[in-house]
Amino acid sequence: MPCRIPESRLESVKTNNDHILAEELYQEFGAPLLRHVLRSTGGDLQWAEDVVQETLLRAWRNAGNLRRERGLLWAWLLTVARRVVIDERRRRGVRPRETEPPDADAVPAPDGAERALEAMLVSEALRQLSPEHREAIEQTYLRDRTIGEAAEILGVPPGTVKSRLYYGIRALRGILKEKGVAS
Amino acid sequence: MSAPSHDVHEDVAAYALGVLDEADHQAFERHLMSCEECQAELREMSEVPGLLDALRDDRSDTLSGDHTPR
Ligand SMILES: [Zn+2]
Repeated sequence: MPCRIPESRLESVKTNNDHILAEELYQEFGAPLLRHVLRSTGGDLQWAEDVVQETLLRAWRNAGNLRRERGLLWAWLLTVARRVVIDERRRRGVRPRETEPPDADAVPAPDGAERALEAMLVSEALRQLSPEHREAIEQTYLRDRTIGEAAEILGVPPGTVKSRLYYGIRALRGILKEKGVAS
Repeated sequence: MSAPSHDVHEDVAAYALGVLDEADHQAFERHLMSCEECQAELREMSEVPGLLDALRDDRSDTLSGDHTPR
């Protein structure tokens, strides 16, 4: 993917190092990030490309604060990309359906059978969580809501939602590891 | 009684999912840069949101909108 950071945003660039970093970011993370983001945009390539650009732009602006350690930078990029997607979805006013996570047979998988199987296993894993943990995940991430919004809906303090999310995600990861879905 | 306190390190999950409110997001990011424990947990957790996205695939029709896939 070509580096398409708008000219106006390059005005603040003072040194060549910044340019090098921007290019490095695109080269090293552009393609894998696009594959990840495509999942959250439901296969919408143009939207995903916009998200990748915005994410790498933010990474480049924050370069001074970011450690150059690859694993952490990758995790940081994923988080930022998620926020960009969620913001856009909220801006458009598109809301996920107010339903339980779909069963496997209700999930058409763009990537084929493997993706359908993954959806089924993740759905199964969610059902194995305690109701509170599952609810925390459903009312935040799966509905594109922030902690504050979910806390209001659930009628509990934000700290409680964060805490439930923490233990819920840890438990979910453990179950997904057992199922061989997570590494 | 004050609101139940919670451990700042626990914000790592909400951060990984990208659902922290902006001020909390900024605050946790500052914490993250100096907390190796949270850095390790973030690396471990960062795969989970992508897996949860498997459950979103059925919504792709409603999300295409003006961004028609090419
Ligand atoms: Zn920490």
